[in-house]
Amino acid sequence: MKYWKDEAEAVKAFVSLWEACAKEQELIDGMKKVNQLIWFDYTESGPNCSFNVDSRDGKFIVTAGKPAENPNLTMSLTADNAHLSWANKLNPVMAITRGQIKVKGSATGLLKLAPKLKKVALIYEQVLKDLGMEDKLKM
Amino acid sequence: MKYPDLSFEPFFTWSNRPRVMYKAGVREELGFEMEKLGGTKAVLYTDKGLVDVGVAQMVIDTIKASSLELVGVFDKIVQDARLDLINEGAAFYRKCGANCMVVVGGGSVMDTAKAINILIGGGLDDFTPLAEQVGLFDGAKPLPPHIAFPTTAGTGAEVTYAMVVLNDIAHAKIAVAHPYCNPDIAMLDPELTVKLPPKITAFTAMDALTHAIEAITTVSANPISDGLGLHAVRLITKYLPEAVKNPGNVEARGYLMIASTMAGMSFINAFTGGVHATGHALGAIYHVPHGMAMNIMLPHLMAYNLGEKPERFAMIADAMGVKIDGMTTEQAAQAAVQAVKDLQKAVGLTQTLKDFGVPAGREALNPLIDLAMGDSQLPYNPRELQEDDVYNLYLKAR
Repeated sequence: MKYWKDEAEAVKAFVSLWEACAKEQELIDGMKKVNQLIWFDYTESGPNCSFNVDSRDGKFIVTAGKPAENPNLTMSLTADNAHLSWANKLNPVMAITRGQIKVKGSATGLLKLAPKLKKVALIYEQVLKDLGMEDKLKM
Repeated sequence: MKYPDLSFEPFFTWSNRPRVMYKAGVREELGFEMEKLGGTKAVLYTDKGLVDVGVAQMVIDTIKASSLELVGVFDKIVQDARLDLINEGAAFYRKCGANCMVVVGGGSVMDTAKAINILIGGGLDDFTPLAEQVGLFDGAKPLPPHIAFPTTAGTGAEVTYAMVVLNDIAHAKIAVAHPYCNPDIAMLDPELTVKLPPKITAFTAMDALTHAIEAITTVSANPISDGLGLHAVRLITKYLPEAVKNPGNVEARGYLMIASTMAGMSFINAFTGGVHATGHALGAIYHVPHGMAMNIMLPHLMAYNLGEKPERFAMIADAMGVKIDGMTTEQAAQAAVQAVKDLQKAVGLTQTLKDFGVPAGREALNPLIDLAMGDSQLPYNPRELQEDDVYNLYLKAR
């Protein structure tokens, strides 16, 4: 991996990001509309490199690993591309067309959050700083 | 005009799959080209309007004069690519024992046919779960032979690797992409467009103009899309008034078709922006024809975006024939908006959203705003759009 020393470090950063997002009203409202169990599958970068977000029925629960139930949506990519994606440095449509992001399930709900990516990127930057991972911001 | 420095993202990709053939009467090459692709038994996909005015027959006649066997005509396609008709169209293909498709129509027909071919190629019956997946790139394989004849100079769907599908139950238009969904060959035959009424000629061309302008000004613009987009703007500005005034002018029709194809190549690689995001929502909820929605929203989004990329809007003004020497970049950019309005007036496009029953109240507009905010093209708009911005744009367009 280019940006991560191991999968645990990557998962820690991503889960922390989503836990921070779960405190933002704008994103809570957005995820309520998504109403899905989403698996962010980065296992291409390591067998335990993934987390899931359950936004069904008004919940906003972030958990490391694969969900116990079948997800409504699976987004598969490498941990490095996930890093670029959360930092808003990866063009999502281009990434899908190049096979860098693989989508399984209904992505139309999550697409509605695309305009919030700039805000998520700012949160991500702060989360990385809080975790002492400022070096990751050099992309 | 001195060519300005135009910045672009340091990394971009360019896809240019379909072969394009152009000639007034190029349909006579259909049999020869389909044979080379391996197609022998064709279903022709079109709509009833094109059957009624004899345009579909012009292509059927060339099929009959060739070695290609016409095993069925599916003319049920209506405005927008609808899930039910996509599934029905695929069943029809199988029932007829076809092994290739010929497509004659505008964007709705071409997009419906793309989705049908994905079902045929994948051995599937129902497009609904594929539409929800949005990007169909994982494991995608080439599809059965497919030749398309656009009959409007507008959507560019003959070259784009995406289709816009209407989910009538969810009241949403979803852009779905597949690397091989566009035709193997796009045959541009301007003789097939001369019967297009002036008003439809006008607003479909405004769709093409929107593709070009959004591709030039999107966050993903690149030098190749700039080149194609700017020349498309020149051709549309020059030849649209003539095609509206003299619908039988095949030369003007031909230039419009070429411009539409160039704009299609441009936007499928550089993406679009707020005009498409707000326009898709108008089509899904108020059934505003796509080109008309683009036409109405275009000048308002241009005015909203001007400050982000003034040099690019100045280039558009120049391409539209505005004498921008002596103007500041900002004045030239502003002149592009006026040039679009002047073109709309010249070709008789005066409608506003009010004419399509779009209300003014915030609560009534919320479903529209919600759809626009979730549109895949919104993030490519050069200036950030929030809910309030989209609301204000809809109000201005009423």
